[in-house]
Amino acid sequence: MQPEDDVKLLKAIAARDEAALAQLYDRYRVILFGLLMRILNNREEAEDVLQEVFLQVWRKAEDFDENRGRPFTWLVTLGRSRSIDRLRTLAARDRVAEAGAREAVEEISDAATDAFKSEQRGLVSKALAQLPDEQKRPIMLAYFDGLTQSEIATRLGAPLGTVKTRMRTGLMNLREQLAGKGESFGF
Amino acid sequence: MVHDDYKEMIPARALSALDAAEERVLNEHLENCAECRKELEDWQATAAALSLAPDPAEPSPKVRERILSEVRKDLSKPEVVPFKSRRNIWSSFGTLGAIAAVVLFAALSIGLAVVWRQNQRLKTANQFVELVNTPGARVSELKGTDPSQTATAKLAYDRTGRAILMASKLPRVPEGKAYQLWFIVGNKPPVPGRTFVPDSAGNAVLKEEMPAEAVDANVFAITVEPESGSTAPTSPIYLRSF
Repeated sequence: MQPEDDVKLLKAIAARDEAALAQLYDRYRVILFGLLMRILNNREEAEDVLQEVFLQVWRKAEDFDENRGRPFTWLVTLGRSRSIDRLRTLAARDRVAEAGAREAVEEISDAATDAFKSEQRGLVSKALAQLPDEQKRPIMLAYFDGLTQSEIATRLGAPLGTVKTRMRTGLMNLREQLAGKGESFGF
Repeated sequence: MVHDDYKEMIPARALSALDAAEERVLNEHLENCAECRKELEDWQATAAALSLAPDPAEPSPKVRERILSEVRKDLSKPEVVPFKSRRNIWSSFGTLGAIAAVVLFAALSIGLAVVWRQNQRLKTANQFVELVNTPGARVSELKGTDPSQTATAKLAYDRTGRAILMASKLPRVPEGKAYQLWFIVGNKPPVPGRTFVPDSAGNAVLKEEMPAEAVDANVFAITVEPESGSTAPTSPIYLRSF
């Protein structure tokens, strides 16, 4: 997950290199799909969004600006934003995902897992575990459930101002914990 | 609201957790503040780390096939034949060749720019036809309203969010202004699309990637906005679908 390799891939994709897109897909599909499954909790929806994200990468790779962030951040932001949009649309259609009834996921090949299983996930889990619950919950509800600060305040029965402060402090703590480890994350 | 107030909102914006009104206000500020844009990028990188928290999961191999099949379709689309100038045109010019070359080079450059624009338009027109022929694609017709009664436009789009707008007879927009496309889903606030400026004849083509929240749009509208675009319409509707 070297960012400079990712930048090269995106440049090749912008030059219409199909193999480069396949390589980027193979590199990140399990991380992204794990994220999309966590947000959407529905295999079919998550696969649709995964497809949309990579087709968007194909069409928009030339718009990627390496001075404005790493490819991994771009890819994840794209995937998350599309899936949250989809989640909100589905919620609007009264289709509420049932927490706790997560769909089973298929076995992951060793080769795919090797690309990311190492220390990076451990570092994020550790950083999250060290956050006080009152800071972690607003962050998780925003990132994975697509709730806005007002919705989180209602959900947690906490004043809006408190939710705002806790979310900001929590994210600052998270950044502090991960500081200096950016290179190993590839973002 | 002062600069620090905006800065405080940025971490929540990176989690897309701001309420709509706050997000709109912050987005307007971001357009003019490079420091805050950089700050947002940094927070987005932190937020991206959260993507590693869920268990990784393997999608069906069909997804890869579907993506690559779409890509191949895209690659096999016919390209417009590029403009070619005649060769050896200078050989008969004798001693005046050099001077003539300079003059003609300037003229040719302007000509090439025109041809390039025409090529681009033709290319987009081809893509429009391709898009219309895609299974599940739809076409919506937009008609001019009071400020621009003669204007017409067609918008082709598919369920992946690919959209192409072709418009004609658009009135000229004032300096610093541009037309902007809007997607309307039910009673929700319009979702902003891209801005565009028509050529001197009032024609315009626009390739658009519809935002995910707009793929279910059933009404499309065009207004006149500042060149940088607006997050909510600020002018009367110039064209709309029926």
